[in-house]
Amino acid sequence: MISAGIDMGTQRVKVAIIKDKQVIATAQNFSGFEPAAVAQQTLNEALEAAKLSREDVAHITATGAGVDMATFADSNISMMGADAKAGAYFFPSVRTVIDVGAEDARAVKCDEYGIMQDFVVNARCAAGAGTFIEAMARALEVDLEEMGPLSLKAERASTINASCVIFAESDVVSLIHREEPKSEIARAIFDAMAERVTSMVRRLGVTPDLALVGGVAKDVGFVAALKRRLGTEILIPENPIFAGAVGAGLVAARRAKRRQ
Amino acid sequence: MASEIEVGTKYIPDMSKTEIEDLRKQFTESSLKVIKDNIDRMKKSWPNRPKEMEYFDEISNLFGKRQQEISEQKQAGKKVIGYTCMFAPIELIIAAGAIPVRVGSGWYDSAKLGDRIMPVEVCPVIRSTVGAKMVHLSPFLELSDAVITPLTCDGRTKLSEILADYKTIWRMSPPRVKDDAHALQLWKEEMMVIKQKIEELTGTKITRENLKEAIEKLQKATKAFRRLQEIRKGPPVITGRDAMLVNQTSLWDDIERWTQKTDELCDVLEKRVEEKDYATYPDTPRVMITGTPMIWPDSWKVPNLIEEANPKGLLAVDEQCSGDRILYDPVGVDEWTMSDMLNAVTERYLMACTCPCFTSDNGNEDRVNWIMDRIKEYKVDGVIYYVVRGCILYAMEYARIKRVLDRMNIPVYYLDTEYTREDVGQMKTRIEAFLEMLEARIDI
Repeated sequence: MISAGIDMGTQRVKVAIIKDKQVIATAQNFSGFEPAAVAQQTLNEALEAAKLSREDVAHITATGAGVDMATFADSNISMMGADAKAGAYFFPSVRTVIDVGAEDARAVKCDEYGIMQDFVVNARCAAGAGTFIEAMARALEVDLEEMGPLSLKAERASTINASCVIFAESDVVSLIHREEPKSEIARAIFDAMAERVTSMVRRLGVTPDLALVGGVAKDVGFVAALKRRLGTEILIPENPIFAGAVGAGLVAARRAKRRQ
Repeated sequence: MASEIEVGTKYIPDMSKTEIEDLRKQFTESSLKVIKDNIDRMKKSWPNRPKEMEYFDEISNLFGKRQQEISEQKQAGKKVIGYTCMFAPIELIIAAGAIPVRVGSGWYDSAKLGDRIMPVEVCPVIRSTVGAKMVHLSPFLELSDAVITPLTCDGRTKLSEILADYKTIWRMSPPRVKDDAHALQLWKEEMMVIKQKIEELTGTKITRENLKEAIEKLQKATKAFRRLQEIRKGPPVITGRDAMLVNQTSLWDDIERWTQKTDELCDVLEKRVEEKDYATYPDTPRVMITGTPMIWPDSWKVPNLIEEANPKGLLAVDEQCSGDRILYDPVGVDEWTMSDMLNAVTERYLMACTCPCFTSDNGNEDRVNWIMDRIKEYKVDGVIYYVVRGCILYAMEYARIKRVLDRMNIPVYYLDTEYTREDVGQMKTRIEAFLEMLEARIDI
């Protein structure tokens, strides 16, 4: 049986096609200004990659901040519910899933079946999410992709006091004026961000194993900083950005089965 | 009063008459819209909503029938006594023939206005009440001849001095430790001072007869309230929001008429239990709310989200001084002597209260016990711990309550918000994830 999950993220729309509990195709696009049209297009691209048509899909479940824009979906699931499902799917030993996306971060506790047990979100403060890295990369005049590798070159971190994006930016500017190495500033930026995420995860309680998903899980600088702060290993799936879509797709499969 | 205080010593700066009038009009219109919207949403969630609810809809209009009634009675010589929180002895006010009205404010618009004077760190309930005073928005506060302001949290303590620029303020200092031998004694003295002030204002002596009558009126109200609560323990024949509206209107309605109308509603609901005529499907996750008071109308934000969510939740019960705490405890009198009655009133307003302003080595034990008992009685599936920014006492008690609930294996979610409509999207995401989790647990 074939199902699909669509994750309507604030920055990207992601689709995963699931067949017999295996991910057989994925697709992603920037959400842009017409997320509803992008959703349709992304679904079509994923179906094409899987050499399937819409009729082959038994159930589509949507998730993400723009969930209501995926009008063709058969059902919805919360982002936390999708994260829990995906975390336990990628790594059966995982009990805590941390998801850091473009605009928000969250952490979910799950059981072996991927059922959510508890969750915390940080949606108020951009300093714990991907856009923070973007803003800081701009201030440092470094490509976004370069930020992570750059930070790994530093042996120490500069000091950023502010945990708010706006104030952190002015901190960074004064560090540049003091001619501190960019690598050390970059490391300080990831440390500040990891600090936000860590305090959020600690509110939930750190139950191993931990998995990190979401677009920011691709950033080596952030991953290194988070490991330092949490003092533990963190599992990262091959395509962390698709976690929400995969989780939703797995839920879709279960719901389709229930309906049969 | 205002005229005796020099300009510049007051908290609230002078505003032009036109600005005050414009804002008052704008806020009143917006509030009427929110009231109508809330009621429409409640009707939509409960298609078979009984016509007995219409009475409470009418009383819920803060600028309608009840304001008119109080104005008329005031013109006929009655005194109106406002109060900012549930420590104020309603029985004494009623015994002296005055009209009690609670004046804490639930308007989001006026909270923004209050920001001109109060820093944003201050609890929005306070900022909103200050903002409401700035433009004379609250009919009940404006009609009050005096306001009882128990000094419970820091916000209400300072609120009392801001309101003092405009109104006669009677402060009460509740002891913060209930179990001390002298706590009741101190509180009794506060009570006697308030009694005297009420008598002076109204020109009516509180006697054995009129106090007994007042206590009995409130006891009847408690009986009707408990009847409604008993119904809520069973299958869902009423939505949580409707029950909350019934309970909250008792804060400004004529209490005898409220009792009668609540009993009429209960007659219908009890029949519906037999007929299995439910307001929502019976296995809807049952949620309890505890924390900051949710004051009509704007603070219906979170209740609306819970009961309209996908999956849906049912507000089965709350632990709030804006809801199930208002009428739960009656004044218990052994012998109808004056001294026994006054002691009973004193005890009722201190001992029965679960406000987080209390402390002991074991924390706010009565609150913890209240929550644990209600969870069992109302078969609660999960707790939403509701805190508005700046509500320090409730925020601080969370850690202990969370540990208690963890031990009971009851999921709890800490929902922090503000007096703003802008965070509805985020709130919805969090509430739906929580309800999804509760539903998954019920399925297992």
